[in-house]
Amino acid sequence: MMFRATRLRRLAGTVTVAAMAVSLVACGSDDATSDGTVTLEFAQWWGAELPAGEFDKIINDFTAQNPGIKVKLLSAPYASTKQQLLTGAASKTLPDVVGLDGAWVNDFAEQGAITDLSKLMTDANYDASQLASQVQVEGKTYMIPVVNFVYPLFVNKDLLTKAGVQNVPTTRTEFLDAAKKISASGGDVKGWVLPLDTAVPNGVQNDVMSWLWASGGSMVAAGKPNLTSAPVKSTVEYVKSLNDAGVIAPGSLTMKEQDKVEKFTNGQVGMMIDSLAHINLIKKNKPDLNFEVAALPAEDGYTGERGIPYASWGIGISDSTKHKAEAFKFVSYLMSQETNAKLSTIANGFPGNKNAEPDFDNSDPLFKTAFDIYQQGYPANEFVGLPKSEDLMRSFAEQLQLVLTGKSSVDDALAKSQENWSSVIG
Amino acid sequence: MTLTAPETSTRSAPAAPGRSRSTLARRLVAYGYLSPTVLLIVVLMVVPIVMVIGYSFRDNVIVQENSVFAGFANYTKVLTDANFLAALKNTAVFISVSTMAHLVLGLAFAMMLNTPLLGGVTKAIFRIVYILPWLFTIAVIAVIWRLLLDPAGVVNHVLQTLGLIQEGVNWFSDPGMALWAVTFVNIWAGYPFFMISLLAALQGIPTDLYEAAAVDGTNWFQRFLHVTLPQLRPVIISMAVLDLIWTSHQFALIWMTTGGGPLNSTEMLSTFTYKQAFSEYEFATASAAAVIVLLLTMVLAFFYVRSQREQ
Amino acid sequence: MATVKTRRTLAKAGVVTGLVIGGLFAGLPILWLLSTSVKSNGEVFQNPPQLITEGFSLDAYRAILGNGAQLRFFLNSYIVAFAVTILTLLVAILAGYAFSRFTFPFQKTINAVIVSVQAVPPITLVIPYFGLIVALGLYDTYLGLILTHMVFTLPYAIIMITAYLNTLPRELDESVKVDGGSGWTALWRILVPTAVPGLIAVGVYTFMISWNEYLFALTLTRTDDMRTVPIGIQLLMGQHSYEWNQMMAMSILGSIPVLALFLFFQRRFIGGLTAGAVKA
Repeated sequence: MMFRATRLRRLAGTVTVAAMAVSLVACGSDDATSDGTVTLEFAQWWGAELPAGEFDKIINDFTAQNPGIKVKLLSAPYASTKQQLLTGAASKTLPDVVGLDGAWVNDFAEQGAITDLSKLMTDANYDASQLASQVQVEGKTYMIPVVNFVYPLFVNKDLLTKAGVQNVPTTRTEFLDAAKKISASGGDVKGWVLPLDTAVPNGVQNDVMSWLWASGGSMVAAGKPNLTSAPVKSTVEYVKSLNDAGVIAPGSLTMKEQDKVEKFTNGQVGMMIDSLAHINLIKKNKPDLNFEVAALPAEDGYTGERGIPYASWGIGISDSTKHKAEAFKFVSYLMSQETNAKLSTIANGFPGNKNAEPDFDNSDPLFKTAFDIYQQGYPANEFVGLPKSEDLMRSFAEQLQLVLTGKSSVDDALAKSQENWSSVIG
Repeated sequence: MTLTAPETSTRSAPAAPGRSRSTLARRLVAYGYLSPTVLLIVVLMVVPIVMVIGYSFRDNVIVQENSVFAGFANYTKVLTDANFLAALKNTAVFISVSTMAHLVLGLAFAMMLNTPLLGGVTKAIFRIVYILPWLFTIAVIAVIWRLLLDPAGVVNHVLQTLGLIQEGVNWFSDPGMALWAVTFVNIWAGYPFFMISLLAALQGIPTDLYEAAAVDGTNWFQRFLHVTLPQLRPVIISMAVLDLIWTSHQFALIWMTTGGGPLNSTEMLSTFTYKQAFSEYEFATASAAAVIVLLLTMVLAFFYVRSQREQ
Repeated sequence: MATVKTRRTLAKAGVVTGLVIGGLFAGLPILWLLSTSVKSNGEVFQNPPQLITEGFSLDAYRAILGNGAQLRFFLNSYIVAFAVTILTLLVAILAGYAFSRFTFPFQKTINAVIVSVQAVPPITLVIPYFGLIVALGLYDTYLGLILTHMVFTLPYAIIMITAYLNTLPRELDESVKVDGGSGWTALWRILVPTAVPGLIAVGVYTFMISWNEYLFALTLTRTDDMRTVPIGIQLLMGQHSYEWNQMMAMSILGSIPVLALFLFFQRRFIGGLTAGAVKA
């Protein structure tokens, strides 16, 4: 009997260990503490892209002004931010305030993950006319662009000079010519770089469709894909002609945005289309690189306004947060004239508040140049607000890869893309 | 090691003393010892599998509130998707070539490291060098090989300098080359575990077997064929099956090097499933794909369990 | 005599050549990793490539070690990996003991389930896991990561420990029982101490799996307070650029604990595997 008693006690022991292991439920993050302070969780990828500590300063100013609100930054790289928001939305654990890319908005709004900001603006008597833009789905605002980044053409002046090209190209023909000369100037240097990786397919937006927009073209007409139109066709044919001329840096088909910037920074390519936000980075890694920014080349003879591609750091509020009023207070702080100007300046972006003026005196001269380009054209990014936009980019990237590897004609690829896109939009 | 499955009842039943006491109590005690394991596996393995099977028969799961029963529609969709079939084929090539190479390299390295011709210190140093690829997390392995195999990277530079290639090879971005490139990286990253297991098994082969063979006047190759291989056979079989299974799980390496491209030439079942879920938001289709992948690996698992049992 | 000696020398030369070639295959990429960690970011793609560049500096290491957030990743990895190792060993010892020394209904079935759990693809689990972990209140906690890692480390550990216990003669535990001790006493007083080499092998292996795990560590955490080293390395791949030198430096720092563990235990590690492998 002694035996059995001991044994049962041991048995009980092991069961308890097991039960403990599973039941040790950590306390969920309850954000309203006993003293009435509210903690807002803010998931974004911005902090990592600003000079160290700068974003914290801006946040600290807010908490100093609003003692009752604390802000907790959840930072992740751009690509994982999206996945985390998606899964967070599915399991109702979305942070109170979320950083958004315009391309995600439709999906999150559809999912009921982010809340209707129009209503919050009305509730707070917010003057929406100061906002430069709002991203809407079915007439309701879901995202406010906080800072906008344009994607001009970056040109390595030294490589251009070495290749004997006097002026920065402004038309497609000039660009092809310059790219050929740079590629012929020796070493492994190529004229242009095109990241077409399908894991993060935003090269379709930044590096391919930008050519279309720069010539005033459009990939969507009346809410339906318009990929078989002449402007889209001429864009893809132009990219193909660059490829056929051998002026695109090798490795395109699995190249990511980071690799693109890397190659430009290291002088391996002469020209790239890239976010203005990268000026700081390029200068940090290669202080002596002699480069400038210019408007994207347009079709020969095009005289209209040039669309300039842009991307935004957008902001939205979770639909499930208990602190919508406080969250909106934080959003309006970031959008306020003074804060928005400060944030835009350190990020080398353009403010989302119309009245905010970036501080050109204390920033890079290239930033001013880009602002002029921006003002002469119009911001263009047709992926903003589209459903499953990343998927649209991916299917387009795959068709483009077929064209570039000679496995498909431009017409077939566009017809196929049109078919793929039609099943998603329109 | 893995080669030895938990003993089954008939062989491991301890002799008499326990028998006289109530068998019920003994059984309860055994279950008691097993309870933490069972609890963990039920909660974190069985439950999610049931959940994913549930998703696979519905539509609009996860991203929308109201999902509806969809029958086998998701399965039909996946099984008729050309990309899925391509992924299946790529995965088959990837895991079989990887496993073969792991086996050959692992065995060759293990035998060299087990040689009686060299001193202990020399062997210890080489053992450490050989184990190095195992120490790095897959994110790093992906990054380091992206760096090495970049068209302007050091591998192309060396090959060009040696005159082996005329111009830089696009290792990861040439559709005809990418699958071999990721397979190569996976071979590099995965052989050490095979090697260590085989090394352990080699050290366990009784030396008198070799001595007896040597007395018979056999040469090195005959001894390898008639002593080493038969002795290693159980280890090799279960390691090979386990490696096939583990390699088929590989996601991060593919995702971080080629992302499944170019032109789907490195699309695997894992990357296909991930894209369905996290870029197309087709969680129902993704779940169906996940279940199919699960069924396929269960076939491998069946052979694995059997190879364990046979010993 | 001379011919035997010559043949021995030839064989030795052959083996050394083979070892060196294999060593280059294994080691050169790591050497390049090391070299990149002491370059400046601009020199990473220098043409022609150089092992040691003018910009040689340990700045990348300083940046990692001087950054509280990065150190936190290391702390988290240690906490998780040690907890996983200890808990896996505890739970696997109990299960291994049951399989090795008891007879009970469904033994074969339970055994087969545990063995085949190793075959379940992580990608199958990612989709339902997220909601499940949140429902259990384990999202973004150490415990959530620890339990998840255990699901993957446990089956292998159980198989190995059962195999190891099977190599230990039953007379060992019987002697304890004759003296009036229980099976529990026999397990902890006699079997576990005897099985230490096998347990070390399992422990080192478990630690490595947990330390390097990536997919779930990424999915199940969202604050830097909980993230582990592999995620920390990935965080250095921003949207816009790779901090090559820092990534490499962090990789090297991150692999040092694993290397140390292996160096320290390598004899016992391989010994433990051997004992499992050759059980009669």
